[in-house]
Amino acid sequence: MASVAARSFVFRQQMNTRRFDFASCLNIKSFYSSYSANPKEKSPENYTQYHEVSSDNWKFVERLKPPTVVPSFPKNGSCFSDWTPPPDTPPNLPYFVKRTKNFMVPVYLNFEAVRNQRKITMVKHIEGDIWALEKAIKSHLEEVTKRQVVSQVHEVAMYIKFRGDYVLHVKKWLLNAGF
Amino acid sequence: MATKIINKTVTELSLRITRCFFVPSKTIQTNATLFQERLETSITNVEEQLPTTIRPPLPIIHSRKLAFPPKFKAPRQVWVSNMDTVEEEKLGLIDLHPEVFAERPRVDIIHENVRWQQLYRHVSYANTKMRYEVRGGGKKPRQQKGSGRSRHGSIRSPIWRGGGIVHGPRSPTPYFYMLGFNTRLNGLRSTLSAKLAQDDLHIVDSLDIPTDDPSYLEKLVEERGWGPAVLFVDDNDIMPLNITAASDSHGHYNLMPVYGLNVYSMLKHHTLVLTLAAVERLEERLLFHLNRNDAASAGQKYRLDSV
Repeated sequence: MASVAARSFVFRQQMNTRRFDFASCLNIKSFYSSYSANPKEKSPENYTQYHEVSSDNWKFVERLKPPTVVPSFPKNGSCFSDWTPPPDTPPNLPYFVKRTKNFMVPVYLNFEAVRNQRKITMVKHIEGDIWALEKAIKSHLEEVTKRQVVSQVHEVAMYIKFRGDYVLHVKKWLLNAGF
Repeated sequence: MATKIINKTVTELSLRITRCFFVPSKTIQTNATLFQERLETSITNVEEQLPTTIRPPLPIIHSRKLAFPPKFKAPRQVWVSNMDTVEEEKLGLIDLHPEVFAERPRVDIIHENVRWQQLYRHVSYANTKMRYEVRGGGKKPRQQKGSGRSRHGSIRSPIWRGGGIVHGPRSPTPYFYMLGFNTRLNGLRSTLSAKLAQDDLHIVDSLDIPTDDPSYLEKLVEERGWGPAVLFVDDNDIMPLNITAASDSHGHYNLMPVYGLNVYSMLKHHTLVLTLAAVERLEERLLFHLNRNDAASAGQKYRLDSV
C-alpha cells in the first residue's frame, strides 16, 4: 500500500510540478462531525421536509415505558382480582409477615426434583417470633386438611416451609390475620 | 409499632441480634429542647478551647427525608458529628432507613461475600507435569513379551516413580466467579446493619479537617473512641487535601468513595465513618435496587452463564 502510494506520488511529481498533496495520493478517508459539516451535503430544502411535534407529546412515549420502581397502589377503588391492599396498622401479634415490593403476600410454591415431585409451600419475609407463626399456621392447616403437616423453620433466613401445596390456605390465613 | 417479641428456642446469636433490632417503640424520643439541654455545656467548652470555630446555632442538621418511607419499622436515629475539632460535636440528628441500616444481619451472606471477595481474584500458580511433560518417557522400556516382567509403554507413566501426575494442579487456575447480585446487595445491608448495631458506624457532615497533620487524626480517633482502623467513606472520589495528607502515612485510616464500599473492607476496619452525602447516595442506590421491577431485564447482559 505504502509502496504503491510512494510510486504514484513520484509519478505525479514527475508528471506536473504540482505541490505535494498527500491526501490526494493516499485517499485518506475523512469523517465529519455531523451531516451538515460534510461538503457533499446540500441545504435542507433539497431533502424531505419534516415538522417538529410539540414536546408535550412525549408523555405518550413515557406512559408506554414500564415503571422501573414499583408504583404505589391506589388507595380507593375495588380490585377485581383477589388482591387486597396491605393494612395501615399492623396486627397485634408477636410476628409480622411483610408484603413484597409489589405488595403481594409472600407465599410461594416450590417444587423439589425428587422422585415424585415434591411440592413445598414457602412463607418468606417473616419478622419476629417465627416459631409462634409456624405453630399458628400449622394448626390451621391441620384443622383444614385433617392430616398431619410437616414443616421446616429456618431461623437464619427467616422462612417457613410446609410440605404440600397449601399456598391458598396459607395466603387466606395471612390475609385474615391482617398481614 | 406495638409488637411484642418473644424468642423461646433461638440460638444465642439471633437472640443478640433480636435485642439489637426489635427495639420497642419508645427508644430514642428526641425533641429540640432535649437536644439543646445536652449541647449548652459543650458549646461553651468548644468556644474556650478553639475560639476560631464559629458555628451557627445547633442543631444544624434537622431532619432527613427517607425515600420509600418504611411503614412499620422505625427509622434508626444517629447523631451527625463534625470533623473540625478533635472533640466530638454533635451537629444534628438524622434518620437512617431501617431496610438498609436495620436489617437482620445474615452472617451466612456476609461470609459468602467475604469468601467471594477473597477468591474471585485468586489465581493458583501451582503446577505439576503430566506424563507427556515430564522429561523422557518416549521409548518403550523393554519388549512387550519375553522378559517375565510387567509390561510398560513409558517410564513416565503415572504409575511409575518420577512419572507424570494425573489430576494435579495445573497453572494458572483461576477461581473467578460472580456472586449473585442480591447476595451482594444483602451483604452490604447486613454489614451496615451490624456496624450500626455494634456502635461502629458514625456519620459526619464532611471530611474537611483543619490541618493536614497526621497526629490530628490520631488524636481525633483516640478522643472519640473510634477503633484502631477507621474507614472514611464519602460520595466523591476526590477527597479533601487535608484528610488525604493526614491519613496517607497511616495504613489503618483509609478513604473510600461510596462506589467502593464492600463487605470485606467494612469488616476489616473497626469503625466506619460515613459522610451525609455518602449516606444519601448509599440509601438511594440500595433502596432503588430493593424496589425496582426491571432487574431481570436490566441484569440480563451481566449474566455470565446465559447467552
